[in-house]
Parts: sequence; structure tokens; C-alpha cells
Amino acid sequence: MKTLTKLTTVETKLLVREPGAVFSLLIPLFILVVFGGSITEGDTVLLPIAVTLAVGMVGLYLLPTTLATYRERGILRRLSVTPVSPGNLLTVQLLLQLVLTVAAVSVLLAVGVGFLGAHTPRAPHFLMTCLFGTAAMFSVGLLIAALAPNGRSANGFGVLLFFPLAYLGGLMQPVEHMPDILALAGGYTPMGALRQSLHNVWSGAGPTPLSLLTMAVYAVVISLVAARFFRWE
Amino acid sequence: MAIIEVHELGKGYDGHTVLDRISFSVAEGEVFGILGPNGAGKTTAVECVEGLRRPDSGTVRVLGLDPFRQGPELREHIGVQLQHTQLPETIKAWEALDLYASFYDSPRDWRALLEQWDLADKRNTRFAKLSGGQKQRLFIALALVGNPKVTFLDELTAGLDPQARRATWELVKRIRAEGVTVVLVSHFMDEAEELCDRVAVLDRGRIVAVDSPAGLIDGVDTEYRMTFRLMDANGPDPGDLLGNLDEVASVSRTGDLVVVSGRGDFATAVTACLARERVLVSDLRIDKRTLDDAFIALTGRSLQA
Repeated sequence: MKTLTKLTTVETKLLVREPGAVFSLLIPLFILVVFGGSITEGDTVLLPIAVTLAVGMVGLYLLPTTLATYRERGILRRLSVTPVSPGNLLTVQLLLQLVLTVAAVSVLLAVGVGFLGAHTPRAPHFLMTCLFGTAAMFSVGLLIAALAPNGRSANGFGVLLFFPLAYLGGLMQPVEHMPDILALAGGYTPMGALRQSLHNVWSGAGPTPLSLLTMAVYAVVISLVAARFFRWE
Repeated sequence: MAIIEVHELGKGYDGHTVLDRISFSVAEGEVFGILGPNGAGKTTAVECVEGLRRPDSGTVRVLGLDPFRQGPELREHIGVQLQHTQLPETIKAWEALDLYASFYDSPRDWRALLEQWDLADKRNTRFAKLSGGQKQRLFIALALVGNPKVTFLDELTAGLDPQARRATWELVKRIRAEGVTVVLVSHFMDEAEELCDRVAVLDRGRIVAVDSPAGLIDGVDTEYRMTFRLMDANGPDPGDLLGNLDEVASVSRTGDLVVVSGRGDFATAVTACLARERVLVSDLRIDKRTLDDAFIALTGRSLQA
């Protein structure tokens, strides 16, 4: 217990010192505030985009880069010659990145609802959507961490995936303006499914079973593949 | 008492033999060197002993435990410095020690370790900002923080400048003085000669010799030289005196400078003979035979090449 407490404390400090963590908090917030001035009350588009962006940045950038760097620097290997299993470090990291995601989403919600006049979404719908979306995005991040040989290339994979996914997901331009086929395909990407579900949540309809299923399939299948390919060293 | 027992340890990757049934044992309190060129299998051998790798064949016991099956129990009592491992860039020296101390049941006081390893004024420095020598000292401190009975140091001085290497040697002597058994993996002959009580010489996955550095050197049967100057150039000719000694191969003289070459303990025979004949000499020098010579004799090639 003493070990896990200490591990969590130290890893939290390291995460706070990581510029990527700060960016994951600030960039979505920046976008929300900048575009928030021009939206009408009861907007159902901007907050879903900002929340999806936050979840995506943590899941596709921060998580894989951190884990791949730990492996690259031999930190997981070094732990495996102590009484503490390196699995503990992975678990603690995963939980902390989850906490960071919750924090980022909470800030967006507080600002969006508190200052920009967005409606408070129905809690069960919102929480369920965020849970599925985060699980899907994190499993993609875990797959990147499993396949990338080092932190730098994990970061590269993240960037490579992030922009196409953000475009397909309707984060760059409204889905209505996208070619039909791309818009349709986008609904089956992790970001697209999450953004679409959040949009439905704010519209009052609630997430569609298809979107939830899409995210669940990503979460399960991709994490299994990631686990299959993960290497400790 | 043997603290480490390795018997017929074999390990291969993809049909390629890395360790060919090696055996050795390490006694409590000694500095035991595993010496050999890059690719000889040193790191693989140590990783099997640490429990990081599973041997294909043979048995390994460390403190009476099987490193692979009883790893968690064993790891309470061993301290390891691994080659090519780093810490997170932003972790501070004290945080790393504090964290690693929390992994063990009865750790040492990490504050004392910071003092002892000359890192006290670097306690709040981030890992990335430490110098090579400071990082190395931190790694040693991390290997000791669990209060281990055995420490494994793998290529401890690789990449350090000569001064930092010498300083690191002193640190290893300190670990030994504290009664901690040290297994030192190195491809530096001078390092092994300076630090190790006994050395296993590993070459292409086989152990070609296990002995003290002095024993290995004495085992080398090659000619080497001693030189001296005659105080009295008109005295008896050293060629006549020394040429008849069994151990001496040749004697040559240029003015008052005499060069004698021979095998084994010829230097003792020569000095005894000179003393008996009351020949006074100055500038007596004996070419030092090194572990490198021993290595060449054992393996047929130089380690440093």
C-alpha cells in the first residue's frame, strides 16, 4: 500500500511536470473559449467538439507517449528487478491519465455551462458516453504504445492518427459540409462516435446504441490487440 | 558460503547459443567480475541470475532461491544497476530514492545514501540535469536503497571519462567494505583487475577461466621483460651471471642498461642472483603483465580490440 501511494504521488508529480498534460487541459479549453463567444445559447456542437478533443489528446498523445517513453528508457525493466511489478506502474499511469481526462472534461463542462450558456447534459447519458469514448480512445493509445519502439515515434503515430481521425470525426468542419461517404465513415471512428454521441446527449436524445456499440467494440478489440503486442522492453 | 550458484546454465535465442552451460559460484562478501568482450553473453548470464530471463537449461540459485520462480522473494534482497536504463527526465534525485525505498520491506535511509554518494546538494535536481557521474552515483544508490545482500552492476563505467571511472571504482570498493557482495559485469580489464576478488572470463558463451586477477595473470606463460641499470659498469657481466638461470630466456646489454626477458617468476630469480653476486643496480623495472595479457592468452585475442 505504501508503495502504491508513493508510486501514485511521484507519478502525479511527473505528470504535472509534463507539458503535454497541461496542453491537454488548455487547448480544448482555449478552443471552447475562443469559439464560445460566437455561439448561441443551448449550443449542441461546440462542447461535444471540445470534450472529444480533450479525450483524444490524452488518449492518442499523452498516454502512448508516456508509456512508450517508460519502456524506451528501461524504466519498466528496472522495476522488474525490484519487488514491485512494472504492471503497477502501468496501472497507476492509466488511472492518472483517466483522472486527467476527467479533470479536463470537468473544466470544459464548468466553463461551457457556467459561462457560455450551454445546457447541463443529462448526467447518466453524459457519463456513459464519456466512459465509452474514453475507453475507445485509450485503447487506441495503448495500441500505439504497444507498437511504437520509442516515445518519439509514439508521439508521431499519435499525430498521424489524430488529424485524420479529428477530420473524420467532424471536429475540423461540420459533418453536414463533409462528403456523405466520409461523414458516414466518420461515425464509425472513435472520435466521430464520441462527438456524435455527445451531440446527441446535448440535443436531449441521448447516445444512439450504434455509437455506443462502435466505441465499445473499439475499446474491447483494440485493447486486446494492444495487450497481444505489448512488450515490456 | 556461496551466495550465488550457477550450474550448467544454458541459454540461446533463435537457435543461436548465447550461453553454453556455464558454471560459477560467488562467495559472500566478494567482488566477482564477469569479464568478456561485447557479445560474449555477460549480460544474458547476469539477467538469468537476476531472474529477468529464464534459463533454457541448468540451475541458478541466488541466496538459495530460484531467481525465475521465486523472483518476488529474491528481489527483496538484491540490488541491480542495469545497462541502458534511465529514469524519467523530470524526476528529482530524492524522489527517485524515496520511491525506490518504498518498494522494499526494510530499506536503507535514502537521505543517508544521498549524503554518502555525494548527491546531497543535487537532491532537488531533475534526472535530466544530472551529469554522467551523478547519474551513475544515483543508480548505485538506487541499487543499494533496498539494503541488498548482493548487488549487480552492469557496465557501470561505460561512457564515463577516466576521472569519473576512477571515482566510480572507489564507490565499488565502498560497497564491498560495507559487506555487500558485488557482481560486476565489465569489458574493461583494468576495472576488473582493480576491483575484483575473482573474475570469470567469458568468451563466446563459455567460461574460459575463473580465478583471481593475479591468478589469471600468473597463469599466463608468456615472456616478459625487466630492465635495470648497472651501478658499476665495470663489474661482472650480467649476461654471464643471469644467462644460466633456467627462467631467463635472454639477456642484452647496451652500455649500463640491461634488458632481461623470461617466463614465470623469473624476476625473483634475477634479483636474488644479483643480490647474491652483490651486483648493485638502479632503475629496476618489471614490465607489468596485465589481465589483458591473460585474456589474450586465454582466448587468443585482445579484449579491447
